[in-house]
Formats: sequence, structure tokens, C-alpha cells
Amino acid sequence: MSETLVLREEIVNPETPLGDVAVEASLSWFERIYRIGAVRKAFILLVLAALWQAYGLWLANPLLFPTFTDTIAALVENIGNGVIPARTLVSLKTLLVGYGIGVALAAVLTTLAIGSRLGADLLEALTSMFNPLPAIALLPLALIWFGLGQGSVVFVLVHSVLWAIALNTHSGFRAVSNTLRMVGLNYGLRGLKLVRFILVPAAFPAILTGLKVGWAFAWRTLIAAELVFGVSSGSGGLGWFIFENRNQLETANVFAGLFTVIMIGLAVENLVFATIERRTVQRWGMQH
Amino acid sequence: MTVQQSQDQFAPLLSVEGVTLQYKTPDTLVTATYRVDFKVYNADRFVLLGPSGCGKSTLLKAIGGYLRPTEGRIRLKDHDVREPGPDRMMVFQEFDQLLPWKTVGENVVFALTASGRASKAEARDRAHNYIEKVGLTKFIDSYPHTLSGGMKQRVAIARGMAMEPDVLLMDEPFAALDALTRRKMQDELLQLWEDTRFTVLFVTHSIEEAIKIGSRILLLSPHPGRVRAELNSVPAGSMGSPEQVALELRINDMLFGHEGKRP
Repeated sequence: MSETLVLREEIVNPETPLGDVAVEASLSWFERIYRIGAVRKAFILLVLAALWQAYGLWLANPLLFPTFTDTIAALVENIGNGVIPARTLVSLKTLLVGYGIGVALAAVLTTLAIGSRLGADLLEALTSMFNPLPAIALLPLALIWFGLGQGSVVFVLVHSVLWAIALNTHSGFRAVSNTLRMVGLNYGLRGLKLVRFILVPAAFPAILTGLKVGWAFAWRTLIAAELVFGVSSGSGGLGWFIFENRNQLETANVFAGLFTVIMIGLAVENLVFATIERRTVQRWGMQH
Repeated sequence: MTVQQSQDQFAPLLSVEGVTLQYKTPDTLVTATYRVDFKVYNADRFVLLGPSGCGKSTLLKAIGGYLRPTEGRIRLKDHDVREPGPDRMMVFQEFDQLLPWKTVGENVVFALTASGRASKAEARDRAHNYIEKVGLTKFIDSYPHTLSGGMKQRVAIARGMAMEPDVLLMDEPFAALDALTRRKMQDELLQLWEDTRFTVLFVTHSIEEAIKIGSRILLLSPHPGRVRAELNSVPAGSMGSPEQVALELRINDMLFGHEGKRP
């Protein structure tokens, strides 16, 4: 290996004008459209609908697999005669009650957990015990305790929501940087005020994830619970609508019911949660 | 700049008396500082200087009230320091010390209202005032994540000063900045001090920064932190002067003497 340095002339470039090199060039129209997420997703949905229609036509058995257009027709009809809106309303009402109670309980549990080591142990023990337990498995028990009615559904809903939200919120709280905590203490904030003004906003990305997961669990559990044990007092929800129509072999209506379930899920995810995300965590630069 | 001529005439603002600090790691009890004494007077720019492991940051946290001394006591004005409070505002090294869900202006206003230091209207006035002092009026409605590191530290300083605390505690606030920004921030801090004459306790491991920022420098030796010396710095603006170079060498000798002199 040579030990000497290689001697070179210094290089100094004169300042010359740039010439006709484009510093910014606009993208082609295809690329610009392709970069819009909604367009890409709409395209995928369109392809899926076309595949569905093609398979339905090829199978030509509306009892087993109605076509896309049959489903849409059934959907329009059932929305028109007010059945689906009424059933959806029943489902959503139950859902909101269960979701609300679940969120409130999760708030209490996580606040306890952040306040004391015993509270944290309690939360950890409870979540590891109950989180893997399917909500539907509790339904038979709930029926004994609360009877055939809204009470039982709300009970299993709370169970499906609570642990997902508590788990996410708790890990969010624990991930809050020590600096922010110290800043809050420096302001003289203690206890609940520290939780309310520092921990909750700082852990908001995790809390939001918990709320989203909890929502999906709740929606799933609700439809399943309605399917399994139907209704009390004649006012069933969407799950019951699906069950009823299956019994009458109105397969297009079954598909319309499932379609509604999917649409509501999509709407809540893309309108409600996406809006909250845009206004909070994305605006604050905590999530991109 | 005035050098304190006869300390006895003035009561110290902050006194640290025989403070031993210990903290636990999973398997050891670490003594961070051992019987440290010093006094800070009004309008001091008091620097805690030492190599890593001398407990200077731990000491600052104890003064901030985040940590109780196992021995000795810390007195601010006429009461013992027991817990964190808005009379001692911390400026941290980390850029994430601003609340990311509040704008620059809201960050300062919230500090004042949450701590009860000012009413909402007064807080807004004061926030505006101090944000102007650090030259960020244009960014008052921006969220912290859109600011550079230096700007975030300026906001943190503005927030600390807006609280008008008895003492501003700064824990290596410029350490994570690039060299050019750091120099600029040091000059700005000195200018702010010229304007308002606040009392500041500043932690650093840079001898040069200590001499530039400080009016008085406490040298701590490591493992555990003990007071090696308490020196007067050279007047601000005499960087590069023979006195400054001499002081730097002297401090270097005291801290690293046994490792051999460095140029």
C-alpha cells in the first residue's frame, strides 16, 4: 500500500449559467392521475365488480350467487321500501351504546393503569385473559344473564371493544416521551390533568388506532350476534335481515345486506376516522 | 456585566447545600453527585460544566424537582425544592419538548394558562411578546413539526422566558444543533439576557460554550460528581482574547489534567 498522498491540482469551476436543464418538470397526466389514491381504489373496486358480474352471469344460479346488478337492484328496492334503513338504524343504535360504554370503561382502566403499578398489572392481566376470548363465545352466558334482548348484545359489544382500545391506549401512554411528561409536570400538571392535557393528546395516534380496531371488532361482533340469536321484540338489525332472507332463500337480499354492512364499514373508516386523522395526528405531524 | 463583588450583601436565589444524588438501575445504586455545594445569585448565568458522568444533568433535574436528593437540600428563595413547578422552567436538549398538537403560539399560551401564571388574555400578550423576542413571529401559527431544530429550541426558550420563572434551567439546549446554528443560538441567548437579565442555570459539556455563555462556571469532576472549582468567566464578547484562551486551558487542565495536556 502506498503511503504517499496523490498530489492533484485544485478544481474551481467558474459560475456559468445553467442552460436549458429543467429543474422542475411536470409529470405526465397518467402519472398525476395514478398518484390519486381514490382513483386507484375506485379502479380496483370497478374490476372486482366486473369480475363478480361475469362470474354471476356464467354461473346463472341466482339462488347460490346473484349477479352484481341483481344485488344492486335488491339493495335499491330494500332501501326504497325502508327495510334496510330501519334495520341499519337498529344496528347502529345498539352499536353506539356498546361502543360508547366500551370506550368509557377503557378510559377508566387505562387511567388507573397509568396512575399506579397495581392498576397497570390489573389491566395487563385482564387484557391478556379476555382479549383472546371471542366475544361470540360469551353470548350464551350473556343470554342467561341479560335475557334475549339488547342487553346481551351490548354486553358482548363492550367485551369486543374494551380490550382492543385499552391495550392500544395503554401502550400509547407508555410510549409518550419522558420529555413531554416532564414538560407537563413542569407546568404544574398532576394526576388527571396530566392525563387529559399531555398523555391523551401525546398518545393520540395509538388511541385512534385502538378506536379504529375497536370499531371494526364491534361491527363484526354485532352482525354475528344478530345472526346467532336474532332479535327481541320484532325489531331486528342488519344481521337479522341477512338471516331472515337466507331462510327465505332471497339470496340477492342476503347479498344486499352484506353489501350494506361493507358500505357502512367503508364509510366510517374513510369518512369519520380519516377526517379525524387528517384534523389531528396528520396536522400535528405525528403521523404521515 | 457586573461581577458580584461582595456576595454576603445579597441573599442567594438558589442554594444547593451538600446535595448527594443517587438513582437505581436494575442492579446497582449509582451515586451521581456527592455533597455538591453552590449558590446562584440573581441574574447569574451559572454554568454547570463537566465531562459525561459528572452528574450535571442529574443535578439540574434535581433542581427542577424531578429527583429528591438523598442527602442535603436545594433551596429556591426561601423554600425547599420538592417537586417540579413553573417557578423553575426547564429547557431540554430534545426537540420533542414542544407539544406537537399545539402551534408555536399555543405552546407558549398553554404553558402560562395551565400553570396558572397568567390569564388567557395576558398569556396571549406575553406569548406574542416573547415569540417576537426570539424572532419567530412569522411562525406563531405553525405546528412544531414544520420548524427546524434551532427554531424549536427558540420556541422552548421563549416559552421558558414567558413563564418569567425565578430561574431558567437549560439542559444542554444547543447540543443537538449543528455547529453554525449553535453559535448563533448562543449569541441570541446572550442578547436575550442583555435585554431581560433573567437568571439562568446552564448545563454543558463544552468548555468553549461554558466560557461564552456563563458568567460563573461550576466545574464538576466525574464518578461521582463533585465540585472541582467555581470560576468567574471572561466578559461576554471577549471570545478569542488571551484571557479566554488562558481560562480554557485552565479548565482543560482541571478536568483532563491527568490525561495529559491538549493543545
